[in-house]
Amino acid sequence: MTTSNNKKSYRGLFLTWAILTIAGALVGIFGPSRLMPRSMSDNMHLTILTMVVFTVAAAPVAAGVYASALYALRHWAHKGSEVPPSGPAVRENAMFVTTWLIVSTLLTVFLLIWGLGALAVDNSSTGKNPLVVDVTGQQWVWSFSYPGTHVSSPQLYLPDNREVEFRVTSKDVTHGFWIVNMGIQVDANVGVITTIHTTPDKLGLFNIRCEQFCGLNHAFMVTVGHVLTPSQFASWLSSQPQQA
Amino acid sequence: MNRSKSLGVALASVLLGGGALALAGFALSSASPHQAALNCIPSQTAAHTCSLSLSTFPDSMAGEQGNNGGVHPDWVSYSNDNLAVPANTTVDVTINQYDSGGSLNNTFFDRVMGTVGGVAIIDGKTVSSVDPTNVGHTFTLRGIPGSGKTLFVSVPLPADSNTKPVNIGQGQYTKPVVVQFSFKTGSKAVYEWNCEFPCGSTREGQFGEAMSAYGYMSGTLTVN
Repeated sequence: MTTSNNKKSYRGLFLTWAILTIAGALVGIFGPSRLMPRSMSDNMHLTILTMVVFTVAAAPVAAGVYASALYALRHWAHKGSEVPPSGPAVRENAMFVTTWLIVSTLLTVFLLIWGLGALAVDNSSTGKNPLVVDVTGQQWVWSFSYPGTHVSSPQLYLPDNREVEFRVTSKDVTHGFWIVNMGIQVDANVGVITTIHTTPDKLGLFNIRCEQFCGLNHAFMVTVGHVLTPSQFASWLSSQPQQA
Repeated sequence: MNRSKSLGVALASVLLGGGALALAGFALSSASPHQAALNCIPSQTAAHTCSLSLSTFPDSMAGEQGNNGGVHPDWVSYSNDNLAVPANTTVDVTINQYDSGGSLNNTFFDRVMGTVGGVAIIDGKTVSSVDPTNVGHTFTLRGIPGSGKTLFVSVPLPADSNTKPVNIGQGQYTKPVVVQFSFKTGSKAVYEWNCEFPCGSTREGQFGEAMSAYGYMSGTLTVN
């Protein structure tokens, strides 16, 4: 292959990579908010943002792999029945190896820092008068109680724009407390109380599921929650029968 | 083998594999693990009302498990695990509770929830909760994923401490605790119910054996 042919081919490779990168980035920017459940809390907003950032960061890498594969299929497809001669080893190309190492390291460090930061924010509490809710998993029902009120319910009711502290535990086996629309997912372990915080910021219904396989009716360990205005929440709380 | 023949073989393999998977999936989805349906009996006096009668036993000798109690005659059981009720109807349920009991591991289930008036009638007495240290079983019914329904009914069934003997089918028991309650159905849906008293084996927090197998302490309620 001549030098001018090489340049032409590499230009094609670069163009393919650029197009695939742009396509991947567009999927990353517009996909998560459309494909993931409706966001109803600060945690879910952060989860979706993380999906966007990670997908966009991964787009050029994935595009590089796919573009190289397409390039190889187009230009290096072997014809004939004889075994083709081996080409030069990639490890001997110092420029390529150095670039690969630097880019991979930078990407990994960026994802690590973002991930640790997001985890820290996800688990943090503002400490501003959080509503405490005790969450109990038992094969195959979730129950929610509100300490200090003697109120408990098979559905979860939360006020809008107030931080909630969930204290999650289990009565039998390990369950997984998953508020789908709020980006909350934590194991419910027997004899252990695990706390997690979120702040609902959208009114409406949301889904709660168990995400740890917990036996015969695991698939049916599901309930719904409601985000209400503070006054609606207060009305609901006062209308509930008091459990001794 | 030439290229077109290879492609044909590959395509046929994929189609055969996919067909086998689809067939297995269809067979699994068609096979019901439940017993013959127990239909709600329409009331002769009240419109849009029907009644269901169930029992809970300390074994499987009197239910739908088969001759001599089926494969696990010593497992606790409900009399039927497949309940069918009409839509938009008040369902009057009577459960004869023949089993002993003990303490709930979660006092959430000592309350009567989701019934008409939030109450049940136990041996003629109207209650909204029971002693959590003396429960035999619970009847706990709830919606399932994807149905969009939010029906939740949970009624505790106190332990039977009567001594007068009674015979039912191949089983010998004592006079039951009679629990009555009503709940309203909405539109068509399938709900899952089970007992929330830990009455299975000692494994998995006493939620093993009868609690972890269809046909004993769990089932479906089909609103049609």
